[in-house]
Amino acid sequence: MKITTFAAIYIGSYEVSLKVFEISANRKIRAIDYVRSHVELGRDAFGKGVIGYELVEELCQILKEFRSIMDGYKVDVYKAYAGNVFRNVGNELFVLDQIRLRTKIEVTVLSNSEHRLMDYKSLAALPKFEKMIQKGAAVVNVGGGSMQITLFRKGTAITTQHIELGIMRIREKLSQIVNMVSHYETQIQELIDKELEIFKRIYLKDKEIKYIIVMGDYIEDMTKGFSKKDEDGTIETERFIKLLNKWYKKSTEEISLELNLTNEHDPLILPSVVLYKRLSEELNAKYIWVPGMNICDGIVCDYAERNHMIYFEHDFEEDVLAAAKNLAERYQGYSSHTEAVLNMSVVIFDAMKKVHGMGKRERLLLQVAAILHDCGRYISLVNQSECSYQIIRATEIIGMTHMEREIVASAVKYNSQPLQSYSVVSDKMDQAGYMVVSKLTAILKIANAMDRSHKQKFKNIKAALQERELVITVEAPESIVLEKGLFSAYANSFEEIFSVKPRIREKKVF
Amino acid sequence: MEKEKDYLKPEYYENRELSWLKFDHRVLNEARDKNIPLLERLKFVSITSSNLDEFFMVRVASLKDMVHAGYKKRDIAGMTAKEQLEAINKDTRALVEMQYSTYNRSLVPLLHNHGIDIISAYEDLSEAQGEYVDRYFEETIYPVLTPMAVDASRPFPLIRNKSLNIAALLTKKGDKKEELEFATVQVPSVLSRIVSIPSQEEGRKTFILLEQIIERSIHRLFLNYNVVCAYPYRIMRNADLTIEEDEAEDLLKEIQKQLKKRQWGEVIRLEVEDKIDKRLLGILKEDLHIAQEDIFKINGPLDLTFLMKMYGMEGEDELRYPAYRPKRVPQIVPGEDIFEAIRKDDILLHHPYQTFDPVVDFIQQASVDPDVLAIKQTLYRVSGNSPIIASLAQAAENGKQVSVLVELKARFDEENNIVWAKKLEKAGCHVIYGLVGLKTHSKIALVVRREEDGIRRYVHLGTGNYNDSTAKLYTDLGMFTCSEAIGEDATAVFNMLSGYSEPPSWNKLAVAPIWLRKRFLKLIKREVKHAQAGREAFIKAKMNSLCDRDVIAALYEASAAGVKIELVVRGICCLKVGIPGISENITVHSIVGNFLEHSRIFWFHNDGQEEIYMGSADWMPRNLDRRVEIMFPVEHEALMAQVRHILETQLADNTKAHILQPDGTYEKIDKRGKRLVNSQEQFCEEAQNALPKTVHAYQDRVFIPAEPVE
Repeated sequence: MKITTFAAIYIGSYEVSLKVFEISANRKIRAIDYVRSHVELGRDAFGKGVIGYELVEELCQILKEFRSIMDGYKVDVYKAYAGNVFRNVGNELFVLDQIRLRTKIEVTVLSNSEHRLMDYKSLAALPKFEKMIQKGAAVVNVGGGSMQITLFRKGTAITTQHIELGIMRIREKLSQIVNMVSHYETQIQELIDKELEIFKRIYLKDKEIKYIIVMGDYIEDMTKGFSKKDEDGTIETERFIKLLNKWYKKSTEEISLELNLTNEHDPLILPSVVLYKRLSEELNAKYIWVPGMNICDGIVCDYAERNHMIYFEHDFEEDVLAAAKNLAERYQGYSSHTEAVLNMSVVIFDAMKKVHGMGKRERLLLQVAAILHDCGRYISLVNQSECSYQIIRATEIIGMTHMEREIVASAVKYNSQPLQSYSVVSDKMDQAGYMVVSKLTAILKIANAMDRSHKQKFKNIKAALQERELVITVEAPESIVLEKGLFSAYANSFEEIFSVKPRIREKKVF
Repeated sequence: MEKEKDYLKPEYYENRELSWLKFDHRVLNEARDKNIPLLERLKFVSITSSNLDEFFMVRVASLKDMVHAGYKKRDIAGMTAKEQLEAINKDTRALVEMQYSTYNRSLVPLLHNHGIDIISAYEDLSEAQGEYVDRYFEETIYPVLTPMAVDASRPFPLIRNKSLNIAALLTKKGDKKEELEFATVQVPSVLSRIVSIPSQEEGRKTFILLEQIIERSIHRLFLNYNVVCAYPYRIMRNADLTIEEDEAEDLLKEIQKQLKKRQWGEVIRLEVEDKIDKRLLGILKEDLHIAQEDIFKINGPLDLTFLMKMYGMEGEDELRYPAYRPKRVPQIVPGEDIFEAIRKDDILLHHPYQTFDPVVDFIQQASVDPDVLAIKQTLYRVSGNSPIIASLAQAAENGKQVSVLVELKARFDEENNIVWAKKLEKAGCHVIYGLVGLKTHSKIALVVRREEDGIRRYVHLGTGNYNDSTAKLYTDLGMFTCSEAIGEDATAVFNMLSGYSEPPSWNKLAVAPIWLRKRFLKLIKREVKHAQAGREAFIKAKMNSLCDRDVIAALYEASAAGVKIELVVRGICCLKVGIPGISENITVHSIVGNFLEHSRIFWFHNDGQEEIYMGSADWMPRNLDRRVEIMFPVEHEALMAQVRHILETQLADNTKAHILQPDGTYEKIDKRGKRLVNSQEQFCEEAQNALPKTVHAYQDRVFIPAEPVE
């Protein structure tokens, strides 16, 4: 039986961790070792904006030890990531370089969406998860620098929001006033409430959620003593809030004693108590589930999924589409027109497979672009392409990488604007990305043109490649003179890119 | 409604030091047992002596430090340091007197009857013996002697701790005033204390003490002087200048301040021959700055530890127990794959009844096995030429990840552990030199092996050190397992010892100093709940010392609630039995036998779902709070049955067991009419009987052809 020994390394705001796994068909993912070392990178990062020399020393020392542990287990492959803490510092490149030279470990800095996707994948590997998200759930991931709330409904992720408020960041922000106030819970609460309120108003509105799934530090310690429901291991939110209310007015030492924590003066305890309390109260879900997964579990699930070593029940692509739809709805850009464009794009894409050389992933991106191609109208009718571009770029969609978002945004932008040359956009993407953008744009334009009137005149659309022509067969009870006429303009740019001429063939229906 | 009982009242507790002296007394009782072979009895006397020396150097010394520092806090029995010293002084004198009366009145005459003589006064030598002795002095002793005189220009010399010395009063030859001068000479510790000399009669053995030889020829050291008198003396100093770890934190700071003021430990005990000249004693008293109560006048040879040497003399085998050869463990066949044996089932080892070889073999096989990725072990009190060290070095050279935690703070193991630790490092092992502020007392070895269906961890956990020589003298228990839950915990333990954060949770192991105390208290409280609900509840446990106040208080509470508690406590026991309403349900047995009891077992009834644990920790504050210890559960039915049997046999022991009485004394059980049970002897027999009978490869002298291989 083939066993792959995999090591996941994660550099966080106050901890560096290494988790070693065995991945095999029989035993799935099995954790064999887990070491964590305390390094307060966040202190420098959130406070000063650069990671100082001493901390880099410490970090390299620990990573070197990790290396020898990995060598000890004869690890086949490893992935090392750094989170939020590196995204915020000025000397990121230099530190990564130092690490590479001194420890021979390649560290990749995760963008927020990639980070959340990994966390998400670690949850998706658990069977309970599927059941919970059917009934409406919010996954809350609390980190040192920020937190992420992802809402699920009917089995898919509909929106995910990043809030720049994490346990350590709260502490750093309030470090000035800590000594001025004896109980600074009130200050922490005010800080948190502001952010949560906005989130609630815009994103949570009428949505009912049954479960909050929480990942983050200290939450496991806090819920350890709770008796959990046998079937799914969840806790009643009310009871949890009651407990947190009890701790609310206690001192750090008292809480640490109750939780039996290693560090009695851990300054991060109070912010976390307040944060979890407010979250539980505001999100208003009946049950809380603490699955006990951490980012390292996410890293291995991500790797296993990408390399088809483990089968996941969950469809991550569905999430992407659902999130896109949700986004389009928010900007009131989703209509039957969008549906029509979506269908047509896919038909054309599938027909052109032999020509465009793109794969499943790009098909998904095309769908997202189709769904979102009109979202900018919400902001400006005239400048809608630029606005759509900005909206898409600024919105996180779980399951899409940063680069993929850029591609989709660009594809939507050039749907209404002429395609710019590569040299103009070379700072945002590489040549391969640019090619994808051009191809997607071309398809999108055609698909869009076919519903120029937004009346969905075409029915039963089929497309087939015939030698040097793409024949799109449509049934149209009404007159399609407008569509046909304007079609030719877009047909030219299509031909330029694919060397295939698109042509509409009407099939009369009586 | 009953008033809340205060289980912490000082009168419910026994002072720790006084309890220890009772233990030493029990050891001395073995020396007084006429049923034991003569040389074994000598050995026991020697043990009581060395025990007492250590007790003084550490415990008494630290009490004196407390008095100097003005520390007024009382111990759990409500005594101040000063009160303790007074009580100790009284009990020690009684003990010493009994030591010497045993020696002089029982053992020496018995030795004489068996043809062995110890000359304690050089005047008793025959002429021939005298000549022999003188020649020995000339050739061997004289060259290494350093006599030192004390006068105006030569201050009183530094007398070494524990050393035996001879003090003499001299007058200068020709000095009419006959002014007395003082001189001292150390009895060389490099030479053997007992010297074998030719006997007056054929077939007898005669020995003389080294100091006697020196005294006989002492005039040779001071040629221009007349020796007025010469007597031996011995001092004991405050052992080391590092802080005794058992004391409270605030006290430590006080003592540290005091220590800075002096350069070497003060003298805390002076032993002299009882016939010593008054003037000589006066000089010693003054120059050693010692108080009257710390002077012991001895009726016999000072420092009886030489009896251990006598125990080891050649021949005279009938005066000793036959050497016990540890038996092999039935599940482990020497030479076969030990990992396979462990995979079959968990294995229990009971030393010294069973051999320690499998443990050595475990590391040895791991070091050469190509599938082994890593070996990790804690080493505490290991000798430098131990085969385990050699295997670990070999493993590192073979490319395995070897991590060793070395505890150098093992007191009185003065051999230079650093030397072999550095050797391991050179071979490529990752050596951790202990933890700051914590002594690593846990005994655990972990082997990580890559097998067909993934990584598997083999763990050895024990109650005794990885020292193959003490494994033949101490009783200890150990367990081999490859359970995943314990393997994961073992990895987490070594991660913590390497300085990483604690694991999110522990599966099976309870680790001190953070989790163990809580665990014990929880387990005891659980029995209380069962008893209060009317269910059967009992606790049976074995350990070396019991002096933690919180644990004792919890036991009192349990006893008051109706939990039956039976304890086997070898040494110190600060718990009192038979206090009405407090400890009527508690019995304490102490077993002092041929082997030193060292194992720790904890058995909780838990209303039928019994839980049995073994570990490296006793119920003492230092184990629970200031050391790294591991307690592990025994879960396989077969092993649980074995452990239950061990504990029950010890509780049934009526030959070597003393029972603690409500008045604090220990008494042996009345054996009349009962079947004699000697737990240690029984275990020896059982170890032998557990082995499968040797089966011949042939039957009835007919060879059996084997089946052909398919």
